[in-house]
Amino acid sequence: MARSRLIGYYFIFPALIYMILLVGYPIIENIRLGFYDVNVMNISSKSQAFVGLQNYRDLFDKGTIQIAMGNTLFYTVICIVFQFTIGFGLALFFSQKFGLSERLRGLIMVSWLMPGTITALMFRYMFSLDGGIINSVLLRLHIIEKPIEWLIQEHNAMWSIIIANTWVGVPFNMILLTTGLITIPKDVYESAAMDGANAIQKFFRITLPLLKPTITSLLILGFIYTFKVFDLVVVMTNGGPVDATEMLSTYSYKLSFGEFNFSQGAAVANILFVILFIISLGYLKMVSKEEVM
Amino acid sequence: MIYLSKQEKRRAFWLNISAILICILFLFPIYWLVVTSLKTEGEIFRTPPTLFPLKITFDTYATQLFGKQYNMFEAFMNSAIIAVGTLVLSTLLSIPASYGLARFRIPGMQLFILLFLVTQMMPSSLILTPLFIAFKHLHLNNTYLAPILADATIAIPFSVMILRTYFITLPKELEDSAKIDGCNTITTFLRIMLPIAIPGVVVAMVFSFLFGWGDLVFALTFLSDTHKQPFTAGIFNFLGYQGISWNNIMAFGTISIIPVVLIFVFIQKYIVSGLTGGAIKG
Repeated sequence: MARSRLIGYYFIFPALIYMILLVGYPIIENIRLGFYDVNVMNISSKSQAFVGLQNYRDLFDKGTIQIAMGNTLFYTVICIVFQFTIGFGLALFFSQKFGLSERLRGLIMVSWLMPGTITALMFRYMFSLDGGIINSVLLRLHIIEKPIEWLIQEHNAMWSIIIANTWVGVPFNMILLTTGLITIPKDVYESAAMDGANAIQKFFRITLPLLKPTITSLLILGFIYTFKVFDLVVVMTNGGPVDATEMLSTYSYKLSFGEFNFSQGAAVANILFVILFIISLGYLKMVSKEEVM
Repeated sequence: MIYLSKQEKRRAFWLNISAILICILFLFPIYWLVVTSLKTEGEIFRTPPTLFPLKITFDTYATQLFGKQYNMFEAFMNSAIIAVGTLVLSTLLSIPASYGLARFRIPGMQLFILLFLVTQMMPSSLILTPLFIAFKHLHLNNTYLAPILADATIAIPFSVMILRTYFITLPKELEDSAKIDGCNTITTFLRIMLPIAIPGVVVAMVFSFLFGWGDLVFALTFLSDTHKQPFTAGIFNFLGYQGISWNNIMAFGTISIIPVVLIFVFIQKYIVSGLTGGAIKG
């Protein structure tokens, strides 16, 4: 018994040690960096000054961090609402049985697998003022009178990124919800129909309650994946115009590798970490209640 | 053969038509990407835009592949090296780990599973600054190893979670009978369990490859040498240097999604099952 236990550890430890070195260590090191003054000048020297909470104070004095937090939260919540609603609609549609349902449902997943950089460029072109297809379609349909400055105007820039990310996230929501829908036994619906329930009642009384575990994990996972957005924002707007689309991840990157202020970059990353860590804990608590082992 | 009533046939017909329309609408951006790459510079800025190129040209591909301005071939080779490196590293580490987590009841198991789950949720920006500093000291920046090591931190937990659910579902009797036939733990794993788990392994490998293939942030941070940069970082820098020539960029994009399309065509079925297992059951 003791020997087979030992073998169990041999199987797990290489990957575990790898993750501790390349993720665990950076998390700890980030916390240290946040309390020191480390920049491009003293990165290799031993004389890095301890500054306490100064980095965090500076960040909040500059004010961009508050904007980035607000932007990230707004972006995440709106994206999830859109992705989930559209994904659910498509899942309800594609969970019906018809000749092409499975094949076409799979086809939609391509948008989720595309490299983020390419998706971002694609949308940047479609939103552009010169030759952008989105404005031209909206003009043709007389929905708008003159071209919208999608990526140039502050408020619109955020919505442009939200639209692009919704396109990326819909398949993930759709696939998980479809799987959930298919596993609901048919006879539950049939007996409800015999009791005289209509489609809307069936949806709210049967579908939604039975899908609740799927929906909750989906929303939390969606939040986590959306909150750490980087590629889309960097390529589409790079945080601009002004700070209109600056997110925590892009701000952290700019501080570390644009201004080479590694300490402040790390401090922003720490704020991002704390927020995601709290949400991850909530998710883990939920998953472990259902089934971890 | 199931015989459908006339009414059911009509219903199926309209469902199929609507499904096709939904797909066309949803996947239009990808069509637009490919079509734009085949247009001439002049046609790109026409208003209203042309839905189909007036004149199909492959000039964009020729300039990108053979032109001096930016070498697409080199960028894609770099991406392939990084993606394959990520795939190899992640697969080698995550297959045994997921098997161990699925099959052995040992102290600390719950904690190990939680560690993999939590790391899967952490953003790349979190490890960026410390890894950059550490890689600088180890002289790893500007080598392919730097983005490969970093990309594997995303690929490993993802693969472990997908593969673990896979190994759990395999019947325990298989192992027992292998033991009776004289296999030890290692040979049971290699000869019996691993071959059955191939569909799960393929999904894990595919996603590891795609994480490496699509990565922008690690390459941008660790590779400043333009001859080592993958297409994502290359294209990003290319944007900064000049006015955007969209047809050239879309040619780039079209080639970059070829692996995605190929993967999709061949293993679509596995992806759906692997994904739902891993993501929901955690």
